[in-house]
Amino acid sequence: MIAIWYAVVSFMLIIYIVLDGRNFGAGMLQWFVAKTPEERRQVIAAIGPLWTWHEVWLLGFGGTLIAIFPRLMASAFAGYYLALFLILWCLILRGVSLEVGGHINDRLWQTYWDFIFVCSNFLLAILFGAAAGNVARGVPLNAEGNFSMAFFTDFNVRGYVGLLDWYTVSIAILAAVMLAAHGAIYLTLKTEGPVHDRSEKYAKYLWTAVVPIGLAILVESRFVRPDLPGHGWSNPFWWLGLIVTVVSIIALVSGLTTRNELRAFVGSNFLLVGLLATGAAAIFPVMLHSTLAPENSLTAYAVAVGPSSLRLASFWWPIGFALAVFYFIYISRRYAGKVSVQRDTQGFY
Amino acid sequence: MNSIFTDPGFWHRLQFGFTIVYHYLFPQLTMGLAWFLVYWKWRALRTGDDKYNQAVRFWAKIFGLNFAVGVVTGIPMEFQFGTNWADFSKYAGGVVGQTLAMEGMFAFFLESAFVGALIWGEKRLGPRGHFAAAIAVAVGSWISGYFILVTNSFMQNPVGYQIEPNGSLSIASMSAYLLNPWAFVQFAHNQLAAVVTGSFVVAAIGAFYALRGLHPVQARLYLRAGTFVGLIASLLVAFPTGDAQAKMVGHHQPVTLAAMEGKFEGGPMAPVALIGQPNVAAQRLDNPIEVPGALSFLAYGHFGSFVHGLNDFPKDAWPDNIELLYYSFHLMITLGTLFIVLMGFATLQNLRGRLESSRLLLWILMLAFPYPYIANTLGWMTAELGRQPWLIYGLFHTRDGYSKVVSNGDAIFTLIGFTGLYFVIGLLFLGLTGREIGKGPKEPAVATIISEPEREAVLV
Repeated sequence: MIAIWYAVVSFMLIIYIVLDGRNFGAGMLQWFVAKTPEERRQVIAAIGPLWTWHEVWLLGFGGTLIAIFPRLMASAFAGYYLALFLILWCLILRGVSLEVGGHINDRLWQTYWDFIFVCSNFLLAILFGAAAGNVARGVPLNAEGNFSMAFFTDFNVRGYVGLLDWYTVSIAILAAVMLAAHGAIYLTLKTEGPVHDRSEKYAKYLWTAVVPIGLAILVESRFVRPDLPGHGWSNPFWWLGLIVTVVSIIALVSGLTTRNELRAFVGSNFLLVGLLATGAAAIFPVMLHSTLAPENSLTAYAVAVGPSSLRLASFWWPIGFALAVFYFIYISRRYAGKVSVQRDTQGFY
Repeated sequence: MNSIFTDPGFWHRLQFGFTIVYHYLFPQLTMGLAWFLVYWKWRALRTGDDKYNQAVRFWAKIFGLNFAVGVVTGIPMEFQFGTNWADFSKYAGGVVGQTLAMEGMFAFFLESAFVGALIWGEKRLGPRGHFAAAIAVAVGSWISGYFILVTNSFMQNPVGYQIEPNGSLSIASMSAYLLNPWAFVQFAHNQLAAVVTGSFVVAAIGAFYALRGLHPVQARLYLRAGTFVGLIASLLVAFPTGDAQAKMVGHHQPVTLAAMEGKFEGGPMAPVALIGQPNVAAQRLDNPIEVPGALSFLAYGHFGSFVHGLNDFPKDAWPDNIELLYYSFHLMITLGTLFIVLMGFATLQNLRGRLESSRLLLWILMLAFPYPYIANTLGWMTAELGRQPWLIYGLFHTRDGYSKVVSNGDAIFTLIGFTGLYFVIGLLFLGLTGREIGKGPKEPAVATIISEPEREAVLV
């Protein structure tokens, strides 16, 4: 039961990262793939109507996390206090820049908000990457299952670690490059003209860059967490994640080389799903690893709510998720195809 | 060193209070305005009169700005349950987490999936699809309100829970939790108050255009809809919902009712103070002008009913800011009464066909729009200050709920950050909303629905 809920909660976060990752990536690349104001509006139009839909998956994840693993949520969020607020502020700036930029048809105004937009998306990718790195590496949990962490301490990966060290920074870089590549694929699918051509080029470069960084991180991870993948070998989700990853890589590469945009896009999405699922299955049942003492680690079993709350949640959650899938299909159909600046704007000017 | 400023609880409360009050300025408008959009879109479909579509297009822009700020300021609210109120989440997450998650799954997904369609998608969706999107957004925002109010109602009147062996709470009865009687009353009261905000804003912009002599057709539409809905909603906010809410407080939290009224000595024939300043040190109301027996009657149905005073309760059960609670409650009531008078008079003038010609009334309507925001905020301050010193009434103290691992420095830093960021967002919001109001509704139809073959061509 708890293992299923762990999968559900991980799955919600993975959906969020895959969906909003498109926006982070496309947003980061806006200045590189779009040179004129019209082209930049094209990038915004590819994201604009859907960004709230993507962002609420974070709320869906957060809510499910409090409902199912309240003690983990409390301990992790309080421990990551400053980092989480940086993420929240970047999310606020990203949303604001996306919304207000289109309101005034003025070169300076839009340049300014596009700048905020690019920076906040970049920072979000870095911060989420560092957060993922922290989950993989572990945090200085004490015997009460609490921790409080500085941004950085001695940049080492054991003992009283900080948010940033050489390992989490390398994962943050991987996240930024990979999400940029993911966003480039999304823009290739959604846009036409010069933005499309540049995105296609960037997608190839960036996905190529992912390979050495990813391999380096695999090596680093062997050193940082020699105990991983833990129970992964015997966990069907771990194998499933691995298979999805491999198939997605094939789809992505073949999509990129044959210029099949949809195949590359599907490959890119499922590659993120596969990698994150493999990671989530590898650390299970530990949800937050302690760098101080392994026995302080918080396992899913220790931080879950009581059985009555779990049972009740398993009644309503599938209904809510089925509805979400229904909206998802509706949205994919409605917003299928290329965007046009003329049609997909709020029409403020 | 033992001052309020060294108490971490103070900073966590201040930050949560500030961010929630600021956040709620936006949803209260969208929850009210959503039904205006649904109504106008429906009228547009029924009558084919394009003035309704123009109204929807104009208000959808205002709605979109509010919705966006509501989303970005709302995400920190959920996260602060963990960051700032970790000990509360550990204790009660098994209960309140359910509704927070349900809000995400049942309300936010619905709203956010369709809000893009409502604001950006008229040309893609066509009139019926656009109408459906308006309904989806309105329903979604009200469902969201319900789940949040169930969460709050649990904190006011905990029901349907059980205590686990490890001391934390979990749900014993989902139906008892979701159907908390407190939640029904609070939902009705709160949602109607949101409609009051929506209708005042609609009426204010109508009054502005009427005074300016701009967009006469639209101005008339906004003024009529705004004042009529404003009157009905203002009346319903006071009675029966506000009345029921106060009775509920009197029943479940008698000490809170005493503090709201600044009443120190209990007794029958309890008065309502129209004017008076609570003097907690001297334990009396200074300069009172009172209606004898009114509180007894309002709270318990008889003039002779006994109403408890604060002195009937131990001091550690008193709300910890009686003065602010008293003023919040009393100013809310005063404003609510003025709303009924103003909208009643405006509706009367409307029926006599004099609404647009009475310039003084238009001026008042134009300038009145901030007051429902203030009244809504005061209502929430009454609810939340009244609940103190409890975080979950009778079960869990506020001082036990904040995150012990977060230092005061971190809490102050994030409070400063929010203050700066929200100040900038406020400026942007006001500036851009003012700009849209200045540009006004586009009267000749500019948006044309693209034909089916054309759309096919684009989609392929």
